[in-house]
Amino acid sequence: MTARAATPIDLAAPRIGRHRTLWHDAAGRFFRNRLAVFGLAIVLLFLILALFADQIAPFPYDKVYYDRVLRFPFDLPGHPLGTDEVGRDYLSRLIYGARTSMTVGISVQIVAFSIGVPLGSLAGYVGGRTDFMISRFIDTMSAFPGLMFSILIISVWGGGITKVIFALSITSWIGIARLTRGQILSLREKEYVEAARCTGVGRNRIIMRHLLPNALTPILVAISFGIPAAIFGEAGLSFLGIGINDPIPSWGKMVGVSNAYVRVYWHLALFPTLAVALAMLGFSFVGDGLRDALDPKMIE
Amino acid sequence: MARYILGRVLSLILVLFVVSVVTFFLMHQVPGGPFDETKAPLPPAAKQNILRKYGLDKPIHIQYLNYMKNAVLHFDFGIPYQQPTTTVTALIAKSWKLTVQVGAMTVILAFGAGFTLGIYAAYHQNSWIDNATTFIAMLGITVPSFVVAMWLILFFAVRLKWLPMGGWNASGSCLIGNDFICTDWIMPVVAYALGPLAIIARYTRASVVDVMRQDFTRTAQAKGLGSQAIMYRHILRNALIPMVTALGVIVPNLLTGSIFIEAVFRINGLGRFFVTSIFNRDYPMIMALFLLIAFLWSMTYLFTDILYTWIDPRVRLGAEGGA
Repeated sequence: MTARAATPIDLAAPRIGRHRTLWHDAAGRFFRNRLAVFGLAIVLLFLILALFADQIAPFPYDKVYYDRVLRFPFDLPGHPLGTDEVGRDYLSRLIYGARTSMTVGISVQIVAFSIGVPLGSLAGYVGGRTDFMISRFIDTMSAFPGLMFSILIISVWGGGITKVIFALSITSWIGIARLTRGQILSLREKEYVEAARCTGVGRNRIIMRHLLPNALTPILVAISFGIPAAIFGEAGLSFLGIGINDPIPSWGKMVGVSNAYVRVYWHLALFPTLAVALAMLGFSFVGDGLRDALDPKMIE
Repeated sequence: MARYILGRVLSLILVLFVVSVVTFFLMHQVPGGPFDETKAPLPPAAKQNILRKYGLDKPIHIQYLNYMKNAVLHFDFGIPYQQPTTTVTALIAKSWKLTVQVGAMTVILAFGAGFTLGIYAAYHQNSWIDNATTFIAMLGITVPSFVVAMWLILFFAVRLKWLPMGGWNASGSCLIGNDFICTDWIMPVVAYALGPLAIIARYTRASVVDVMRQDFTRTAQAKGLGSQAIMYRHILRNALIPMVTALGVIVPNLLTGSIFIEAVFRINGLGRFFVTSIFNRDYPMIMALFLLIAFLWSMTYLFTDILYTWIDPRVRLGAEGGA
């Protein structure tokens, strides 16, 4: 930062008229970060697999071939990753598994955003008794391990993709709400907010136009780290056998089932674990990259 | 200080109350119970008797009060549906030892190796060990423990056949006697410890690098203190402080982590019990395990907060003097 301010070229550049926004700068920093770009490539690959699974996958995910049970990779032409314990094409199930993971990861974060941000900004801006109530609620919720809570919900209401999303959403908004509250608390005494208040701007408009846009970057970073967390949650629940129900494929469930066959049929364990690990790494790299790109103070 | 602790304990009790109420009512919402009659219908009188025996014929808030009274006063969490001849307390007493054994070894490995790697990486920045540590830390933080566990199994048990696939204290795998230094300890502990180890190594490296740049370290160097003395007296002592924060992050995660590790390696501890209880819809067992976990979880936070002010006097002074 200091080095940049000292060079006259950069100081002059904005005045000449080239429009440089926060997002423009952030994108530049993001794409200079090789790990972040690598992560983005992985994420995009999985998103494409998830969106176009019907076109990409060679077989339907639930098509059973009773004569091709537990085949190794390249054992049969047409099944490059082999088949599973009931004779379904493993590659197709992995591709459709990406759809499950991405759906859960993204949906949970959408819920987290749409509950956490309003509650957090309400608590932070209104203060007083509202803040007290919401903060105590957040404290109580975070006094309990999130994944355990999801397991509890699933054990009561059963599995399935919507219930998994619901169970993971119940605790996912807490971090976002706390973060938003903190951001709003630190921003609301700023001069520009006071100026807006003096000119008679209403509460909702102050929150929407002045506070939230300035609080948005750390929230975005938290969301980008929340997606792999939700993917992990779904994989974990399904691994234990209480998440996604058959025949919908889920990487976690595939790992869990493979545990019984791993002594001989190594391919059942290897490919879904690689998929989970790659997805988690990809999203984490993107999260790291976003954090560094959106917070110029971090770079020295 | 006493006031602070009292306040924290009160809020802990409130949290446990809320958790118990939520769990209890959720458990009683479940469709289908332990006495489902789809397969073998019971005569109404027999069903009445069973319901009365387990107290299930009373209104739900009375059931809750009875449950909590027995739990708090007599440490009695009821009778597990899966083994009606014993009590929940007895079942937990039987299986907690394995879980604690795995957890304790994991904590020792994670802190020992994580701390050493972190210090080494800080002293030899950008060496290959530093880069390897960064890589392991990244893997350990992002990749779930059950995935790491499966990789270990695939490589060391299936491919190389060096280590047993699972179990704990299995006969024939122990070097000394029947339950000491066993080869089937290695993979569960390593898979379990990798995540915490990664976090500790990262924290340690960052804080040692930070302390090395401080004025007091430079003063110690300037007055001619040996590098060993500086490391032990100045750097390590200060680098220990973030360890407390790491402890607060890691120990609660170990509680949930044991479920996965015990499932992968077929260890009959509390975590495995927990999963079978869910499959069997064993409410008393699930409820007791949940309360136990919530209690341990909040106690860890309370403990680390207190430890923090005790280890680092600056935390206390900061509040009063505005350092």
